[in-house]
Parts: sequence; C-alpha cells; structure tokens
Amino acid sequence: MLSPKKTKYRKAHKGRIHGKAQAGTTLNFGAFGLKAQSPNRITSRQIEAARRAITRHMKRQGRLWIRIFPDVPVSKKPLEVRQGKGKGSPEFWVCRVKPGRIMFELDGVSREIAEAAFELASAKLPLETKFIARIGE
Amino acid sequence: MANKIEMLANTREKAGKGSSRAVRRTGNIPAVIYGGKETPVMITIEEKFLVKELHKGTLFTLLCDLKTEKDSHLVLARDVQLDPVTDRPVHVDFLRVTERTKIKVQVPVNFINQEASEGLSQGGMLNIISHEVELLCRATKIPESVDVDLTGCDLGDSVPFSKLQLPEGAVPSIEDDTFTIATIVAPSALKSEEDEEAEAAEGEEASAEGESEEAKSE
Repeated sequence: MLSPKKTKYRKAHKGRIHGKAQAGTTLNFGAFGLKAQSPNRITSRQIEAARRAITRHMKRQGRLWIRIFPDVPVSKKPLEVRQGKGKGSPEFWVCRVKPGRIMFELDGVSREIAEAAFELASAKLPLETKFIARIGE
Repeated sequence: MANKIEMLANTREKAGKGSSRAVRRTGNIPAVIYGGKETPVMITIEEKFLVKELHKGTLFTLLCDLKTEKDSHLVLARDVQLDPVTDRPVHVDFLRVTERTKIKVQVPVNFINQEASEGLSQGGMLNIISHEVELLCRATKIPESVDVDLTGCDLGDSVPFSKLQLPEGAVPSIEDDTFTIATIVAPSALKSEEDEEAEAAEGEEASAEGESEEAKSE
C-alpha cells in the first residue's frame, strides 16, 4: 500500500476539500483516464483495491499510472476511550482528491478493456468518477 | 495539409468574467483572434461545432477560415481551455496567420507497423513518452500527424526523435534528436502480478516462522 517514506510531522489537521482541481486534470501518460467528479478523501487501501481491480482486468496487458498519493495521516482514538487526553495515533493515510483530478491512467489496452477496468476501480472508490480518453482515440 | 476548417463566428463587445459566462449560457464559447500585428478581435463560436471539431483531433493542425459578420480571418487554433470537471470548452485562442507564417506547432505522433515489432508481438507494451512532437513549419504546411515505423523494435528498445519520418518543410523545434518518443516495455500488469506473488510468498514465510516460534515457546 502507498504511504510516505518519512514525514515532517506525524499528525495532520483534518482539513476540508474546497474547489476544483487545478493540477493533474489532463491526460499526461496514457490514452485513457479515470477522473474524479466529486471531492473526497481516498485511503491507501482504496487506491490499492482499485489498482488490483484494474491490473487483474487487464490480464497482463497495458500499463497503469497512479496519479494520486496518500500523504495525509489520519489519526484515530482507540475503542472505549473517553474524549480528551490529546489527539489519537495515526492509523491510515489518505489523499485529498478534488473534482477534476485524474486519478488513474491506462495505456496499451483497447477502449473497451479500459472502460471495464475503470468501472471496476470506480466501485472501490468513495467518489463519483468519469471515464476520459485522449482526443482522437 | 489536407483542407481548411470553415468556421462561423460572431464578434462580441464586452470582455470579462460576467459577459463570458453570459455567452456560455447561450450555447456559445468566447474566443479571441490575435497576432499578425493587428488588434485582437473578441468573438464567440458555437459550442456544438467546436466540440465536434475538437474531438476529430485535427483542430490544432488544420487552418481555419473564420468568418465573422464583417470579415474573414485565416487562423490556427492555438489553445482550447477546458473545464477540469466537465471537460467543456471554456475559451479558445486563435492565432492569425498568413501563408508565409512559420510557427511552432504540436503534431500528434502516429506509430505504424506495430505488428512488425518483435517486442510488441512478444507481449510488450508501447510506452509512449511523447504523444505529440513540436515542429517548426509553415502554417499552410502543417502535417496532420508524424509517422514512426516500429519494424524490428525489440523489448527494452527506445524510439528516438531521429526515427520520426518528418514531412517536407517541417523541422524539429528542438535540437536534441536523441530525445525519446517511446519505449517498448514489459506490461505493468505482469510486473504487479509478480510483486503480488512475491508478497504472498513473503507473507507465507513470515507466518510459517511465527508458527514455529510459537511451537518452540510452548
């Protein structure tokens, strides 16, 4: 699963996701892509599940690029612990995704395979998505 | 250069956010014509027509004959701004050109003879690093695409810029012709499966070690 090798600070604020994506909104590597249509936090587990769904559907063809990285630590308090006594310990990593962001890119497969693979991946993600293709494909 | 795109446009008076939004609400797209040492002209284009031309993939390499109410302009589309979420065009830039104009233009790369490539027939994948190349050519002689012959390319081979079959009159805008256009690589699906198998094997080993330690402690 994806996670940073080292971080400057162990814990981060919760934060909010506002606005549209300004970077990573065009296809840079592959011919097909999966674009976010709503804002949400995507965990490293969800990214891994989507990656597995895509690569298994492609069956040894094509190439996949993951264009999001979970770099925000999310902390949690243990079960049955009273409130207070400080922030909980970091439990998992998430990536804040804004609408318009291309999360995955694919190349070397047909449009039908790419569409089916991204549909499977989309089912693993907590946001609305859209299939996009390079102009002229 | 095969032909020209015939495009109808209307001039607009007001610039800015509010008037541009008003234009978009009517099913048109705000655009501008600039260059050629003349004053820029603000225009609007029908969205449906523009989207149709944009998806043909030749909008940036074909000259447009843009007709407004008063006069006609020979232009080349230089940029189309798209909404990041909806992918609807937001604004278009047109550069005024003449037959003499020499411009740098991004031309799509077309990979031919893929069946004759050894690497691709072995299950390799064409990893395109540059889908477009920048060429310097006359505005009236912009090639629609540039071909790259993949005959004889094996796994691990790279396709340099020098292998491009450039049309007459077109010169690369970069001097470095060793620049890589594409490589032929093993598919990532194969690699990731190998990784998963390796991870699974490691996991089994770790669990086996754990069980043996538990047995010892008992």
